[in-house]
Amino acid sequence: MSLLELPSNREERWRWSDLSALPEIAARAPSGQMPERLPWLDCATPGPRLLFVDGRLVADASEPGDVALGTVEAPVGEDALGRLVGSEGWTLRLGSGHAPLGLVQVIHVSTGAADHLPARIELDVDAQASIVETFLGDGWTNRLTRITLFKGARLMLSRRILTASGYVSLSDRVAVGEGASFVLTTLAGGGADTRFDGEVHLAGNAGFAEVGGALLARGRQRHDANLVIRHEQPNGQSRQVWRSVADDQATCSVAARVEVARGAQKTDGEQSLKGLLLSRTATINAKPELEIFADDVKCAHGATVGELNRDALFYLASRGIAPAEAKALLTASFVADAIERIGEEDVRTAFLDDANAWLAHGGAQS
Amino acid sequence: MLKIDNLHATIADKPILKGLDLSVNAGEIHAIMGPNGAGKSTLGYVLGGRAGYEVTEGAVTFDGKDLLDMGADERAAAGLFLGFQYPVEIPGVSNVQFLRTALNAQRRARGDEEMSAGDFLRLSRAQADALGMSMDMMKRPVNVGFSGGEKKRNEMVQMGILDPKLAILDETDSGLDIDALRVVGDGINRIMRKPDKAVLLITHYQRLLEIVEPDFVHVLAAGRIVRSGGAELALELEREGYGAIAA
Repeated sequence: MSLLELPSNREERWRWSDLSALPEIAARAPSGQMPERLPWLDCATPGPRLLFVDGRLVADASEPGDVALGTVEAPVGEDALGRLVGSEGWTLRLGSGHAPLGLVQVIHVSTGAADHLPARIELDVDAQASIVETFLGDGWTNRLTRITLFKGARLMLSRRILTASGYVSLSDRVAVGEGASFVLTTLAGGGADTRFDGEVHLAGNAGFAEVGGALLARGRQRHDANLVIRHEQPNGQSRQVWRSVADDQATCSVAARVEVARGAQKTDGEQSLKGLLLSRTATINAKPELEIFADDVKCAHGATVGELNRDALFYLASRGIAPAEAKALLTASFVADAIERIGEEDVRTAFLDDANAWLAHGGAQS
Repeated sequence: MLKIDNLHATIADKPILKGLDLSVNAGEIHAIMGPNGAGKSTLGYVLGGRAGYEVTEGAVTFDGKDLLDMGADERAAAGLFLGFQYPVEIPGVSNVQFLRTALNAQRRARGDEEMSAGDFLRLSRAQADALGMSMDMMKRPVNVGFSGGEKKRNEMVQMGILDPKLAILDETDSGLDIDALRVVGDGINRIMRKPDKAVLLITHYQRLLEIVEPDFVHVLAAGRIVRSGGAELALELEREGYGAIAA
């Protein structure tokens, strides 16, 4: 993998990322070591299941249903990590009036080396889908997903990164059509470093996009989310709600940008980037950006970074809750803001449990 | 039950308590009254174990154990309850979740079994009902959007559920209208007026003491107890003011 060319953090978009471990991971061979169990969700409406190990489908553990495997339409080339994904991946294309699929579940396991995979999601007029992607193992997991939502289509995409070590880089290119809705919720709750690059175009009248999540980091971990939502047509709504928690010497960074084009009147944009420092040596970067070329828009943005409220900690202690548990309870409530937006209860509960497991792990260590 | 001996405490090196002595036995209700700045709330926080309040001299024992050596959560598990003058809002954590976590943490610390979800719900419903709080409010985030009176009522619901041996109630009567004062006062009597329990009521006013009749009244001024007496002392204070008595 001597051809691996990576962006330098002298570039503004990459200044908070540390990609230095990637060449070494890319040179490794996969171990094939599988996790003890695969966290498929038991849900009310089961749908297709896909298991990828080191970027390859494990057919006998998968039930692809309506998901097609094979060559994915040529991905866009300009994305620094996304362009590495190659052409063999998965495609979900739902026609207008397609019967509900049930929850689509995709599990990605990396076993120590680098793996790359493209995906394509295309929902035709009024089609709906809900997808959960879970990332496990260790290594470098690199994904590029291109999404097109036609008029009135709705996609709920929820991702949990539980990868124990290594790196997870996820790039998304999303076009949201008239009255369509795109909701992406990400939980970084493993031990790996992460990088999220998202570019969402609200390309039709009254499109809706919500992109947010919770980034949990400890040790020397780094999470880095870079998002742009472009309002190109009037009456669009967008929400970016991110909650970052950093302990030890960890760093969480969120750069979230809203662009409103000249004709995109009545745009309603909201950004809420909040960070919680669990130790004085941790770092949180929050960079909300607005670029507005229309004159009749409503855009609210807020960024705060703080520590756990001492009054609240004493209040919990005075009722008998030990310091580690009090800290976990308050941190969980901080994080829940971003996760409670997931619509399906089964998925939401699983993500909240994952976040609590991360917090409990910290409590046991401290 | 509680024995305070020559207690000195500072906040940011500023002396607030300057040699306070007090002894509270099971079955007794003590009222601590005194002017602003006398150290009443400091006494509550020092006994509750709040960080930032430094004990520089003296000793406090609770059921024979060194109270000052225990963390705030350990004091609660040992049976001490601190009712806050300004109860804290905790967005994102429901009252029910908060109280169940607290109750079970105390039970674990005492080596008891955790209470089941069903038993806990029955207990919290009974306590909420007795204080005129709806289960809807119990499911809301702790104190968020509650009025001053509702927050104090919520403190009493918590006290009822946690069932402490000793309650230190810091101006539980402030911010209450007459009806709410009656509800809260009756709550204190119902939950705490028992032979094996005791109460330290910190208050400015006589009003609450008409409902919760103290066995002893102490006047705290400039960090020390300057006078002690029976319930009649509160009336005397109300009539003559702190100036005459604390001088």
